[in-house]
Formats: sequence, C-alpha cells, structure tokens
Amino acid sequence: MEYYAGVDIGSTMTKVVIMNKGIISSIIGPTGPEQRRLANKVMEKALNKADLAFESINYIVATGYGRINVPFADKQVTEITCHAKGVADFFPEAKTVIDIGGQDSKGIKIDNGRPIDFVMNDKCAAGSGRYLEITADALGIKIEDMGELALQSTNPALISNICTIFAEQEVVSKLAEGVPLRDLVAGVLESLANRVSRMVKRLNVEEAVVITGGVAKNAGLVKALSDKLGYHVSVPPEPLLTGAVGAALLGKDIVRKAIENGESPERKERSLKEIEIL
Amino acid sequence: MAEEEKKKRKKRRTATKAAASIGPMVKAAIGGTIKAKEEGKKIAYTFIVCLYDEILRAMDIVPVWTENYAGVCGAKRDAERFLERAESLGFSRSLCTYALCGLGFDQWREELGEMPPEAPWGGQARPDMMLSSGQILCDPRNKWYQAAQQFMPDVPIHNVDLPYPLYEDDIHFTDIQDYYIKHIIEELRGLVTFLEKQTGKKMDYDRLSGLVDLGEKTWNLIHETYELRRAVPTPMGTGDAMNTMVPMTFMLGTQEAYDFYVGLNKELKEKIARKEGVIENEKYRLLWGGGLPSWFALADFNYFNSKGAVFPAETTYRMVQPIYHMYMPETNDPIERLAWRWFGYWVYWYDKARKRPGSHPDVEWLIQYIEDYQIDGIVMHEAFSCRTWHLGLIWQLNQLAKIYKPIPVLVLGKDGRENKASRELPSLVLESDIIDITSYSEVDTRNRIDAFIETLESVKKGKTI
Repeated sequence: MEYYAGVDIGSTMTKVVIMNKGIISSIIGPTGPEQRRLANKVMEKALNKADLAFESINYIVATGYGRINVPFADKQVTEITCHAKGVADFFPEAKTVIDIGGQDSKGIKIDNGRPIDFVMNDKCAAGSGRYLEITADALGIKIEDMGELALQSTNPALISNICTIFAEQEVVSKLAEGVPLRDLVAGVLESLANRVSRMVKRLNVEEAVVITGGVAKNAGLVKALSDKLGYHVSVPPEPLLTGAVGAALLGKDIVRKAIENGESPERKERSLKEIEIL
Repeated sequence: MAEEEKKKRKKRRTATKAAASIGPMVKAAIGGTIKAKEEGKKIAYTFIVCLYDEILRAMDIVPVWTENYAGVCGAKRDAERFLERAESLGFSRSLCTYALCGLGFDQWREELGEMPPEAPWGGQARPDMMLSSGQILCDPRNKWYQAAQQFMPDVPIHNVDLPYPLYEDDIHFTDIQDYYIKHIIEELRGLVTFLEKQTGKKMDYDRLSGLVDLGEKTWNLIHETYELRRAVPTPMGTGDAMNTMVPMTFMLGTQEAYDFYVGLNKELKEKIARKEGVIENEKYRLLWGGGLPSWFALADFNYFNSKGAVFPAETTYRMVQPIYHMYMPETNDPIERLAWRWFGYWVYWYDKARKRPGSHPDVEWLIQYIEDYQIDGIVMHEAFSCRTWHLGLIWQLNQLAKIYKPIPVLVLGKDGRENKASRELPSLVLESDIIDITSYSEVDTRNRIDAFIETLESVKKGKTI
C-alpha cells in the first residue's frame, strides 16, 4: 500500500493528513513556536493515529507559511498550488478558490486542479480569520457561534473601519449604543466578505467557487461572500484540511510521474527530529 | 544604519558590467553636485522626465534630481530617519515617500546648516532654485517644492507646465496637437527666461541645438540597445535596467550618457553572440509591467532569477521611444524640437490603441512587449505611496485579460470534445513601497513569488507539478 502525507503549517493552524486512496489520518492543531519547531511531533501523532511507521510514507509534501520548517518533507510547495489541487479533489468543476487563513487571504483561479492565476492579501489582518477572532473576543462570544448569530440578522450593522484594531473599537462602541449583537456580528462578517470579494474580483471570478480555511465553517460569512460575489460558494467537507490534502495528492502525482518515467522520485534524507530554530 | 546590518547585506548581483558600473557613477554624480555647489555653480532641484535636461546643461546649471537622492537613501536602507523627520513635521506617511524623504532631509540640513550626519553619499546639495512641474505625471511634482520652500524661503521656484493629451478613443491627438505644442513651447521659453535671470547669462541656442542632437541620438541608441534584450536567453533583466536607467533619466544631453549606452549595446551584443543569458537555464520570461521598484529590495530580482525567471523587458523607466518613429517637423529651433519630442513620446501608443476596441495606450504597450519579448507572465508593483502608478495597474491587467489572450490551450467542452481556447497571462502584483521599508516583508514577498513561479509552471506545462 502507498501512503502520502501532506503537512500544512499555517500561521494559526497546523494540519497533517496521511492518504492512500482517501484520508486515513488527519491532525489539526494550533500553530505556535513549539509546533513549528516540533513539526515532527505533529507528524508522529498522525502516524500513530494511522498506525503507520514513518518509513512507510512514500512521499511527504509540506506547504503553508511554515513549510520551510518541515525538514523531513521531500518537497515544499506553496499553499496556492496545494489548495488548487486539494479543492479539485473535492470539487473537480471548481474554477475559483477563496482561502481565508488565520492571517491572510487568497483568491486562486484554477483549471483542472491547476492554478492559473492568484491574488493574495498578506498585508492586513482585516481580510483574515484574525479579524473574526479579535471581534469575537471584543463582543464576548465564541468565534464558532458567529455564523449562526449573523444568519438571524435582518439589519447588519455598518462597520466602517477597515483596520482590525479600529473595527474592534467600533463594534464595542456600537454594542454600548445598543446595536443588537446579531446585527453587529452580521456587520463584521459583511465587512470581511467585502474585503475578500474586492480582492478576489481581480481574478474575474468564475463558477464553481469554493472556499477553504477555517473561516469556511462560518455559515454567515459564506452567505455574505456568496451575496457579494453573486455566485454560490461551496464548502469542502473539512475546509481546514484542503491544503494538506492537496499537498499529499501532489506527492502522489510526483511519485506516479517518476514511476511512469522509469525513475525514482527525488526524495530527501529524512528523519523525524526536532529542528533547530536559532 | 547599524554597521552590522550594512555588512550583512550582500551586494546585489547584476548580469551586465554596465549595470554594475552605475553605483559608482551615481555616487560620483551626487558628490559632483556638492563640489559644484562649493565652486559656486548654480544648483537646481529637478524632477526626471520633465524635459529640461538639455536646457539645464546648455546653461551650465547643475541638476540635483531629488527623486534620485530619495531612491539612493531607500536603496541604502537609510531613508527611515528622513521619513520619520518629515512625519514629525506633520506630513502624512501616505504622501509620496520620495517627497517625504526629501523634505525630511532638507529640513534637517537647513536646521543644522550642514549635511545631516552620515548623509548617504555625502548628501543633497542646497539648491539655488527649484524647478517644479505641473505635468500630470504625479502631484508631488509641483507640491513637493512648495512644501520644501518653507525650509528654504530664499530659494525661488519656477513651475513648468508640461501637459500631454489624455487618451480618448474618439478624439485623435492630431486634432489638438498644435495647441499643446504651442503651449509647451511657451512654457519652455518661460523656463529659459527664468534661468537667464537666475544665472545672469543668455542661452546659447547653438549649444542647446547640439545637446538636443545628442539627446535624440541617445534616445534612439537606448531603444535599439534595449531591443537587444528580445534575445533568448535574454542578456539583461529588469534588475539591471533599474540601474541602466540612470544615464537615461539623470544624464540626458551628456556625452557620458551616450557613451554609456554605446558600451551597454556592445556588451549585450557580445553576450548574445556567446548565448550568455542572465541565468543559465531561462525558464520563464516576465514583463515588469508597471510600478516603481522597491529600491531597498532589488535583490528580489535575483530571487526571481534563482527560480528560473528573467525579465527581458519593463515599462517602468523605459522613458524613451525611437525618435525616428515619431512625427518630428523640420525645424532648427531646439525648443520646438524638445516640445515635439515630449508630445511624440506621450502619444506614442495612441494610434495602436485606437485600432483595438477596449484597449488603451498603456495596455497596448504591454501587448507589444508581450509579443516582442516572448513573455510568459507579468509582474507589477503597487507602491502604496506612489498614486500615479498605483491607480491604473489593476485596471490595465483587467483590460489586458479582456482584450488579449495570447496563450492557446485546449479545453474539454460540455459535449466531451476538445476545443481551442485561450487564456490570459498569469500576473503577480507585489505590494510594498518605493523607499518605505516598513511596508515590506521579504518572507511574504518571496512566498508570493514562489506561488507565482508554480503558477507559471502550471500554465506552461498544463499540469500542476
């Protein structure tokens, strides 16, 4: 049996999947300095869950912002390519991918799982999951409750500040003024959807549109984004894992291609050790 | 800047010896302006692409290119203290950071009565006059020196209005060119009158004619030299061009500038004959399609190179077009020739744009280079403080995608049959600034470059990896 692993170290969450024909093991955990240093531990957890030895993994691809901190990976690939590949596995007809990560957001135009163009916002937290974390905290609610709350609103509040920090102050002030919580939350999600859709529209959005990243679990945001773009926005079964799945599938492609060409896939000397970060 | 930081930064690699020679040339030019000031020569603050190069040279006035000095501060990663000073004077950080850097520097120099400590390359000489420009290229061109005058109230400003007709697809520029030419000529004669008053001497028009001859000859030579970069592999990239633009923009009308391009032309031809490219295995040919570069991060061009990508062409700082392709009426008046050259440059792409519905001169320029230089993808830079460049870049990419699809591909139709189609070129928009290093993240920038390279690979091979 062949096994492929994808390791996606994002700015907020670390994701690992091990696949053969489908996902046989996955781990999702917060990224912190420790996790980056101990990417081996996360991999070990995934291996234990799958009851596999490290040596049985045929190929490992690392992706995400922390991909260079995965010394045991055979190849590093950017999250743009991995998300394109991962999304196409769930939605072969996908043409546009929106990935909202912990600290950035991206739009990717894809064609049969291949990225053909992309845009990225890594400059401002207001277009990322961090914006929701901060405003949820300011409103004293759980981030996972935001979507359902927003869907109850019929009059979303206008959040005019485009800076996360100032928007935090704005929602607190509006709460004090008596604006209903559901309207405030809906306003927050609309402002995030506004920022992301403005960026993604640069790509000439085409259906099918798919959203990935942890924020995709927020039904209120998905609806707001769908309204802004004018297209239905689909969500994969586990949107946080799409990049890691894409990474594992790319590994599979690399090995298959090498075998077709009668070659051995290029692999790195690897061991599951801690890495040293100075 | 800390000494350790200076030591840590490696010297940027250039593909040509000519580009490598520019640093010392600029340093000498800046040192030359300080020496000229000491010798009592007249010094003028000036902007590039303002048409007064040959006029100043003909009157022995030494130009100090204030944008250039701000760029030098940025490239040496030593602009921050001048930007902070300007900010503390009440200027917003969102203004042109060239202007902010210059204003911070000028205020500091005026306050001390001498150059600020460890001023990059000796500092910027105090002007005897400031020549602003009302042209529509960018707003600091008339506002910057007005602001600087509060620190130097004794230094006069002369504004030169240099308009060009904005493109409209239903109006031909020939219908309105006489009005523009007449106005530009009047403006240039006004400049000469001002300079004569400041220097106390009359313009030598025979000398000016000779310098305009030299300027035109240099324009044509630059065009021919840069066209050599069409070769595969390309012998010179945009990283080098950000150096080799110096004689074009700061030294026009000098023999030194002409000789520089003679040398560059020879070097490129030799490299082409040896099939020597910027890199050994050229995989992707990119167009720098607009935006000023981050002067502190020119090493990013080397990073592109390390991924197999080269830039055979750029629209930024390609501030010349071949004179022999422009309409230039017979005249012995050098002022008139300058006016026609100015006009001819700005309307150069207008006719082509009119022939393609939905096009625009800037888009037409991109299309021409995409075809001439066999381009695989486009890179642009949105420098947050440069509104002039910032405004149109995304629009240009959108228009390009709408009206021009150069890459043929096969797509599977709904009926299951393969159909011929085409696809736009992948593009990358970098975001930072010209000299404000606080807007820049090397990690994020290079992550974008990595993703772009994978996209190019994907488009080129038609598969993901």
